[in-house]
Amino acid sequence: MRNTFNEQLERLHVELIQMGAACEDAISSAAEALLKNDQTLARRAEEAERELDRQEREVENLCLKLLLQQQPVARDLREISAALKMISDLERIGDQAADIAELTRYVQVPQSGAPHIREMAEAVTAMVTDSVSSFVRWDLDLARAVYRADDRVDALFDQVKQELIALIAADASNGEQGLELMMVAKYLERIGDHATNVAEWVEYSITGVHPSGN
Amino acid sequence: MKKRIFGSILAVSVTVLAASLVLTVGVLHGYFQDRILAELIRSTAYIAQGVEEGGLAYLNSGLPGDSRITWVAADGTVLYDNWEDPADMENHAQRQEIREALTLGKGTAARYSDTLSQKTVYYALRLSDGSVLRSSDTQYAVWVMVLQVLQPVALMALLAALLALWLSGRVARQLVEPINAIDLNDPDADSAYEELAPLLSRIRGQSRQIQRQLLDLQQRRDEFAAITENMSEGLILIDQETRILSCNSAALRLLAADGPAVEGESVLTLNREAGFRRCVEESLAGRPWEALLERDDDCRRIMASPVERDGSPAGAVLIVLDVTEKERRDRLRREFTANVSHELKTPLTSILGTAEILENGLVRPQDISHFAGNIHREAQRLIDLVNDIIKLSRLDEGGHMAQWETVDLYALAGAVESQLAAAAESKQVTMTLEGGPAQVRGVPQILEEILYNLCDNAVAYNRPGGSVTVTVSAGAAEVQVQVRDTGMGIPPDARQRVFERFCRVDKSHSTPGTGLGLSIVKHGAAYLGGRVKLESEVGVGSTFTLIFPAAPENT
Repeated sequence: MRNTFNEQLERLHVELIQMGAACEDAISSAAEALLKNDQTLARRAEEAERELDRQEREVENLCLKLLLQQQPVARDLREISAALKMISDLERIGDQAADIAELTRYVQVPQSGAPHIREMAEAVTAMVTDSVSSFVRWDLDLARAVYRADDRVDALFDQVKQELIALIAADASNGEQGLELMMVAKYLERIGDHATNVAEWVEYSITGVHPSGN
Repeated sequence: MKKRIFGSILAVSVTVLAASLVLTVGVLHGYFQDRILAELIRSTAYIAQGVEEGGLAYLNSGLPGDSRITWVAADGTVLYDNWEDPADMENHAQRQEIREALTLGKGTAARYSDTLSQKTVYYALRLSDGSVLRSSDTQYAVWVMVLQVLQPVALMALLAALLALWLSGRVARQLVEPINAIDLNDPDADSAYEELAPLLSRIRGQSRQIQRQLLDLQQRRDEFAAITENMSEGLILIDQETRILSCNSAALRLLAADGPAVEGESVLTLNREAGFRRCVEESLAGRPWEALLERDDDCRRIMASPVERDGSPAGAVLIVLDVTEKERRDRLRREFTANVSHELKTPLTSILGTAEILENGLVRPQDISHFAGNIHREAQRLIDLVNDIIKLSRLDEGGHMAQWETVDLYALAGAVESQLAAAAESKQVTMTLEGGPAQVRGVPQILEEILYNLCDNAVAYNRPGGSVTVTVSAGAAEVQVQVRDTGMGIPPDARQRVFERFCRVDKSHSTPGTGLGLSIVKHGAAYLGGRVKLESEVGVGSTFTLIFPAAPENT
């Protein structure tokens, strides 16, 4: 009985890794699609998003099965409940990556004018990668590094906002472009938040204390 | 075992106890019956004497004891009974004891009462007048006797059982103790019961064998690990659940895994790129798969093959190869082919166009020489190009070129300089040769080609009024030729690329050349066992240094 349980737990971990990897694919494809204006990559991000939806249901089923049939306790219980929360964040990251990918059809990152959106896309991609790595290896330090990275992403968001305002102020015909880029920046910022959530759940399942403090 | 011994002992003691109880009761019962009969015989004989003398009057005068006395006439009619009225009693002639007494003189019988709880023993004696005197006594049946003694017996049995319980527990413990005390890792055959000795020596032999096999296995494992550790290819074995069974350090390095490989963890903790995941998935589904992972400048090829056991997939072997260099060469080759076709096509198009114009008679006679000159120049360019390509491909293939000789680089540099004198003069570049004789072993044609290309470039890419300095210096082990120009210089990011085929820093192609010169220099030097160094500063000039091993005669 316990053996089946351990096997299922292991399977959960592997499926989470796969989901995390699909999530990384989605965001990195979307970010590259944005920066290189590559429609093939945009389609890849959208495919990854559909894959993520499927995986979310699968992992959810597995978690519920584990909870109901095995009635886990202590760390196992934390791991499973954290997984349940994590997958919804991962799925949201996928959704927003797909949204960015869709926007790349209408918007191009200007060569000049908004230099920080590029940096932001890279920082967010790195955050997602790190948050996934932190639960792949149960690495508490890496998880905490993700929260710090989120502060930087938030600062970058403000910077990008100022740049876009300046862009529109300089030439009103940039208005549409500017607004679309603003959406992209907001999505990126949200993805950063979701990556932070994932990292928080990693910390919770390692230490048993959720860093948000309650 | 202890339980079993305990149970057996207990069962045996209880059975023995019960059996002895039954036997005792049986024996006692028989004894009592005999006693009663003997008593009856004795008292009957006594009464019989009285009856012989006194008749019925004796009987009516009161009898000793509490036995039932019946006097029966020879025809079976009851004459007297001390318990019942003889008139009510039936004829007794057919009773067993009476019948026996009438014929044999005396008779005995035992009959159970209706309830079976009592047994009546009869004794009959024939008197001298032919009548029979019978006395009887009742006795309880065996089971009633048992019932009567049951309470004390049960108490005794309980005590005995308790004793048996305690004793059998103790005995069982004592029996089992030596067996428990056996050290199974190293059983000593003499330590316990001799009946166990063969078993123990067998266990001992087997445990030694297991130890040996374990050691053997460990050794083989270590050997396997040592071999795989020294492989430059990454090797990963995984099971059907993607768990790592074995993973060498080359695999970790090539996959740029951040942590050490933990056996039993999922292989996806090492790398989760899409291509890698696909490899794992496909190979575990039973299909061999290959993927190329590109990260920054590195390029890895993953080859995944399924492992089957009894016809069903049991895992996979992943091999990780570093194909960065191969991919780079492939790219260069592709570029080269593309470049060659392009470079060949350009002059040909020009020749074709010019020839067409001439053919159609669209050119005034006085211009014909100009157009012909054009064709000549382009054809010359084609020939140069083809020559260069031939030289390069020969260098690529290596060997089979002209003989190796000892060559004086100083003399060779002088010859090259004089060949370029005209070109230098037209570009207003001064050429100087410094240093002294320096012998190297090499192929003169290749060495000349190298020097010519370097000096030609130095002149061609120079500024008017500039200079080219060739310095030949012979060291103890190495000979250096330095070609320093005062030209435009090469920007840092192009310094690696200039040695590639068809690479022209000057994209406008304003300077004539095939783009193969430096490539020939590099390959030629490498072919002769030397190397090229490049130092350059944009706007100031470049210095190419050729370094060759000195000829043996020089040392």
